[in-house]
Amino acid sequence: MTEPVIELRGVGTRFGSQVVHEDLDLTIGRGELVAVIGGSGTGKSVMLREIVGLQRPDAGSVRLLGTDVWAADAAQLSALRRRFGMMFQDGALFSSLSVAANVAVPLRESRLVPAEMIEPLVALRLAQAGLPLDAGAKMPSELSGGMRKRAAIARALALEPEVLFLDEPTSGLDPITARAFDRLLESLCEDLGITVVLVTHDLDSLMTIARRIVVLGRGRVAADGDLEQIMASDDPWIREYFSSRQLATGQPANAG
Amino acid sequence: MTQDACRIGVDSGRPVLELAGDWRLARLPELARALREARAPSRQPAGFDRSSLAAIDGTDLSALDTAAALQLCRWLRAGGSDPSSIELLGFEQGHERVLRLVARTSDGQDESDARPPARRGALAALGASTIAMLDMLRGHVGFLGYVLVEIGRALVDPKQLRFGELLTQLSRVCVSAVPVVALVTCLIGLVFAYLLGLQAEQYGANIFVVDGVALGMTREFSPMIVAVIVAGRSGAAFAAQLGTMRLNEETDAIAVLGLSVAQVLVVPRVLALVLTMPLLVFVGNVAGLAGAAAIADLMLDVTPSTFVSRLHDALAPRHVLIGLAKAPFFALLIAVIGCRMGMTGPRDTRTIGTHTTSTVVQGIVGVIVIDAIFAILMQRIGW
Repeated sequence: MTEPVIELRGVGTRFGSQVVHEDLDLTIGRGELVAVIGGSGTGKSVMLREIVGLQRPDAGSVRLLGTDVWAADAAQLSALRRRFGMMFQDGALFSSLSVAANVAVPLRESRLVPAEMIEPLVALRLAQAGLPLDAGAKMPSELSGGMRKRAAIARALALEPEVLFLDEPTSGLDPITARAFDRLLESLCEDLGITVVLVTHDLDSLMTIARRIVVLGRGRVAADGDLEQIMASDDPWIREYFSSRQLATGQPANAG
Repeated sequence: MTQDACRIGVDSGRPVLELAGDWRLARLPELARALREARAPSRQPAGFDRSSLAAIDGTDLSALDTAAALQLCRWLRAGGSDPSSIELLGFEQGHERVLRLVARTSDGQDESDARPPARRGALAALGASTIAMLDMLRGHVGFLGYVLVEIGRALVDPKQLRFGELLTQLSRVCVSAVPVVALVTCLIGLVFAYLLGLQAEQYGANIFVVDGVALGMTREFSPMIVAVIVAGRSGAAFAAQLGTMRLNEETDAIAVLGLSVAQVLVVPRVLALVLTMPLLVFVGNVAGLAGAAAIADLMLDVTPSTFVSRLHDALAPRHVLIGLAKAPFFALLIAVIGCRMGMTGPRDTRTIGTHTTSTVVQGIVGVIVIDAIFAILMQRIGW
């Protein structure tokens, strides 16, 4: 087997006296589409931040694309940062730049892309993310929530990432937009071979796209597998999580 | 190994573009050069022109990403071929998917659509900013009326007034401003007395320094300096606080809870500043005169007791009163501008920054304008 894309070994995190992760192990291979779920405060977003090098874990090691994130020097880190993209929960677009300029930031800063190719590449990224081209001329504050998220994906895709991290990509979106987003992620994974890791609470997303689901609980991986395996789990939180879904879908039938 | 990234070859009598090696974003400049050279007449296979390109051969292709695929698609379109329908030979499945995807998504795009509209000319920009300034001024006047009505409402029905918030604001805008106000006015009084003293000494008129400093400090300098400090401290703070609360939808939450944003946020801030600015000016008067008395004692042989008795004779109470009377007007201007700049504009982080800066600038300019109006009025009534 080739080297895993992400490898967490014995990761421990605490905020003051509150233990978030304890001895957390997780391995993700190339081309996987993995959804991370878990109750509030189980450290899903914290884990993402530790993998991308925004927050140092208190114990353990994090390897991303073969580099130990927390032992790497500045040059290794900046080389590594060109190889993954991250989409933050509310987009985190730079509010002083137009959408097109936002997408162009990584292209310009990398100094890899010749100037005359920047504009066509920005247009391609916008189209890939499903945005109309004239959205590129707008400022982030003029976009709806769904379009902001698409613009954020376009920026995250700018430099052909090998791995894409997404923090709650479908939260706050209507179901139709959310499903379109799911298809987008699916095609990124299948057509372009990008490894996709998302933190989500959206059960529909889980059911439609996730090949593999990782459940965090009590500071470690509580369950890991495909949808059927997870649903067969007898972990009380997981049972409650999926039964909330059955209740919700059951109600209209009872009412009608 | 120096294999060409691409060349036009012949395959069963047809011209075929043969790709080789890594086609990745990091190699875009090289790939562009290779594509340009492939089209050079000297390298075309005899008897064919580039528009009749029949297929692309990807057998030797080891990697293809979307950026490189986009460059290829653009090159093909420029040469009159359609990248979505051209025949692909020997492509790996993954590479073919990438190329087809890019061909599809980049089809019929006009990249200039994503460009922000062109900048205006200098004259149009001047006109636009003038209109924007007048609009802003009109908005300020409207907001002033709104705030006065709300203050009136709070005075008529004191239950509406938020005493807790008012006390918090009083402490923030007044009590914590005392040290900086005292320090700055004391230093100004010191420098002012020193400069006046240099002139007065030449005529042996040391004692008249007291007259000059007392009049200048109480009537003009102290109110002005306090207003500048308050515009920088409290005006900016109002704009930033309210702007952040609005960005965070806290102001909407207040409105939805059935509370009045004006009563909860704006009135306490405006009242606090209007009530306390005269106090700060008084602090400034005392500190400024104390600074002047210190210099007079050290350099001009005017003892503190002489200074005070001369102050009694030379300083008419009206000068102090005029200085104190200006303060609430300055305060109202600064507070209204600060609150309005926090409550208007697009809800993004950049606006908070620009509006905070703008609050300070507008506050200081406005204070100077009001001061000039006061000076003219006072001169007319002979005070």
